[in-house]
Amino acid sequence: MGATTYQIILEIIHYLFFIYSIAAIGSYLVLAAISAVETVEYKRKNSFVNYKEIMSSNISPSISIIAPAYNESLNIVENVRSLLSNHYVNYDVIIVNDGSKDDSLEKLIEVYDLVQIDYLINEQIPTKPLRKGIYKSTNPAFEKLIIVDKENGGKSDALNMGLNISNSKYVACIDVDCLLLEDSLQKMIKPFLETTGRRVIAAGGVIRISNSCVVKDGKLHDVNFPKKLLEQGQILEYIRAFLLGRMAWSRLNGLLVISGAFGLFDKKIAIRVGGYDTKTVGEDMELVVRMRGHMEELKKKYKVAYIPDPLCWTEAPDNYKIFISQRNRWTRGTIETLRRHRKIGFNPKYKALGMLSYPYWFFFERLAPVIEVVGLFYFGILILFNFVRWDYSFAFITLAYLFTVFFSLIALITEELTYHQYKKKGTGFRLLRIAFLEPIVTHPFILYAAIRGNIDYYFNKKKKWGEMTRKGMTKA
Amino acid sequence: MSDAKKIVLAEDNSIFLLLLKFRLEKEGYKILTAVDGKEAIDLIEEHSPELILTDIMMPFISGLEVISHVRNKLNMKTPIIVFSSAGQEEIVLKAFDLGATDFMSKPLSPNELVIRVKRLLR
Amino acid sequence: MNTNYFLIDYFNESPSIIQVAWSISVVFFIIIIPLILYLKFLRGHLRKKERVTAELENDYESSLINYLYSGNEEEEISAEQQVIINQLKECIKDPFRRKILIGVLLKLKNEISGEIAESIHKLYFHTGLVNFALSRLKHEKWFVIAKGIRELKQFHVKEAHDEVIVHINHPRREVRKEMQLYMVNLFYFEGLDFLDVLETPLSEWDQIQLLEVLQRMENQNISNIKSWLNSSNDSVIIFALKLAKIYNQFEAKDELINLLHHINKKIRLESIHVLSYLNALEAKEILKNNIEERSPEEQIAFFKMMEDLYEQTDESFVVKYIHHEIFEIKVSTLKILKVLNRERFNLLKFESSEPKFLRIVNFIENN
Repeated sequence: MGATTYQIILEIIHYLFFIYSIAAIGSYLVLAAISAVETVEYKRKNSFVNYKEIMSSNISPSISIIAPAYNESLNIVENVRSLLSNHYVNYDVIIVNDGSKDDSLEKLIEVYDLVQIDYLINEQIPTKPLRKGIYKSTNPAFEKLIIVDKENGGKSDALNMGLNISNSKYVACIDVDCLLLEDSLQKMIKPFLETTGRRVIAAGGVIRISNSCVVKDGKLHDVNFPKKLLEQGQILEYIRAFLLGRMAWSRLNGLLVISGAFGLFDKKIAIRVGGYDTKTVGEDMELVVRMRGHMEELKKKYKVAYIPDPLCWTEAPDNYKIFISQRNRWTRGTIETLRRHRKIGFNPKYKALGMLSYPYWFFFERLAPVIEVVGLFYFGILILFNFVRWDYSFAFITLAYLFTVFFSLIALITEELTYHQYKKKGTGFRLLRIAFLEPIVTHPFILYAAIRGNIDYYFNKKKKWGEMTRKGMTKA
Repeated sequence: MSDAKKIVLAEDNSIFLLLLKFRLEKEGYKILTAVDGKEAIDLIEEHSPELILTDIMMPFISGLEVISHVRNKLNMKTPIIVFSSAGQEEIVLKAFDLGATDFMSKPLSPNELVIRVKRLLR
Repeated sequence: MNTNYFLIDYFNESPSIIQVAWSISVVFFIIIIPLILYLKFLRGHLRKKERVTAELENDYESSLINYLYSGNEEEEISAEQQVIINQLKECIKDPFRRKILIGVLLKLKNEISGEIAESIHKLYFHTGLVNFALSRLKHEKWFVIAKGIRELKQFHVKEAHDEVIVHINHPRREVRKEMQLYMVNLFYFEGLDFLDVLETPLSEWDQIQLLEVLQRMENQNISNIKSWLNSSNDSVIIFALKLAKIYNQFEAKDELINLLHHINKKIRLESIHVLSYLNALEAKEILKNNIEERSPEEQIAFFKMMEDLYEQTDESFVVKYIHHEIFEIKVSTLKILKVLNRERFNLLKFESSEPKFLRIVNFIENN
């Protein structure tokens, strides 16, 4: 009898694993299908837009680009030049030097002819105080530039300072080392202006990986496919996430994340909810969830928009050490955000946000690595007791692998049909190869980083808080 | 024909470039064409033309940088006419600050351009 | 053969989840192979298309230049030109080539004016390209209609007015927008007449684009905007308010003042901005009377207006608000007080000990 109960429990565990996998596969497929529909629609609509017409318009609403910088001395001058060359009329660039210990400020002062100015800040969000103050250029060519020098307080604190200083209606929060294409602001502002009947509170853009690309004078000259498998794997991963995932969530109005590397926000609402949270490593996701929760509570009609065009290019980690620490941070950010906004989850009051987005993130983003590791442990135990049915395991591994490859191929085909960024001959083979290799070259490390993230989050409090003030910000 | 006056024409719109080239060649000028600022600068350095016509918005190196290069790096007094589009008034002012001789806003009339070119090269 | 039987037996004897897992795997495997081939084909196809496009563009560009320079004074179309027209007529039977030719025509047309622009316009008619665009207007798919209208706009085909205007209240926003842009690009302020009958909302994006076109026109004689200020369509009112500001429509002052009591907050707010820009003192008096009952945004806009329109008699009114909880109102009223009564302003520094307030006072004192 003991043996049969034991057998039944095992059966149940097997079925649960199986149901979870099928649900994950199913949800990916549904999202991909929705993305396809939405992408076709977006491409069609956008074939009419003449961005030139809004570019010169002085009636277009004002935008502030807010870019926090911490010890970026090496590239800061070039980065600022790139930010100043956007094809939008009514915008300014606020660089927040977050207590850098290097000569960033001195370099900027010299190159851009900066002088200190008297500036009245409406401190709606509390932040660390100014250090040397606020600077503007005496050269009219750089009149769009504002440099703020403040005490170190981390990325969120720097962004909040930018929110306080901006006089614009909209703010674009970006990483200073991001390369924005010249038409990025025009494209990002469009959903805010064209949507009638509900308020667009934020818009997120696609992040593309600029490793190996040729960048000159702050402009993207040539797109190349990098050599390292790790970089290639990340490119594939980004294409999958942005083209097949987020596009669908935007259609369902369920986007929870706007990448910290490039997002545009309605400043009034961002300030009303209190700005960026300085106590989390996942500040980009946390702010969006908080803003959405706020709008739901007010029962206002709103939308978080998403622009699939490749507008923002950033350098991705090119070695496993940085890669793992980045993913570790992302994991902690996700856990933190989901925990803090627990009341949204599975709460019908929050409609799609509570019943669809949150559960999806909880089960398939938050829990996926945990379940995977539990599965591996279980597998290990089976091996130990010699219970393992190798043929069964083989069946599941094959299924998982083939699905991943299949899904990557769909993503690559979508990329070709829409943006076709990797045009060069021979890249096709490498794209295909990485679709088959990616489950081996990046996935194990992502899993490892996610587990470390979980451990650090729950058991390593020092790391959880310590990193914030010490590091300020890291790439991507 | 050997003493034909040389003009460097920089414009990223290929057909517009072709149109102006033919039109000016009909007037007896020798036209050297460039599709971006980089090529324009190379041509100017090599041929020292009598006149430079350049678009303001061009990939890689903008018209503004061409002007600045000619005036400050090469120290040449060659007349420069810039082409601008609607809504680029601010940039035109910068072009004049850098030493542009004249400007024409697009859409422009090729006949008018010929008149201005003749006046400058008389 | 034996292995086959073995596999089938194995499959039949396995538990059902394993059967399902293997079946799905087989399905994926079968799909993956054609996907790989398709990806290969697609990349090759795109590369080829890019190359062919570039070649065709080159061809058409030189044909066009030849056409433009082979005209003469005597005939409307010279023999040489007719040959080119005939060649192009052949090409445009193919939609892909047609698209490229249109692109080439526009690429030049947008850059030039005068005789040559007219010549391109004529070519558009002689080759029959215009008929393709006109036939699109009756298509059932919205994006085909929108593309047709856009092309007619780009080539300034005024003759299509009646066929285009029927789409005024088309269910798709994109079609409506193209219709509106067509009207304004070709008929300037008269083209705005569609606003009289517009039932759908005019988005901010549409408004900006229309204003852009209008501001580029040489003719800046705006038609009467009063009826739009009284429209039942709120977005039309907002648009008319923008026109009132850009074109200094002082004549419409009474209508603008009426809008201060409009039911829609956004309209009230915009009308404060416009009246402030037009320096309408009456508006200030009206707002002063019930400013407390208005929304914070309106209050801020009102005090911003006061910064330009204050009078000596406003001092006691302004002083009431220098400790208002809204930052912008504090700043505005302090600025006004500084001008109206410097002594009283200077005393403020000693009356208050609140650091935030003092910071504002100090800033205004120095700037």
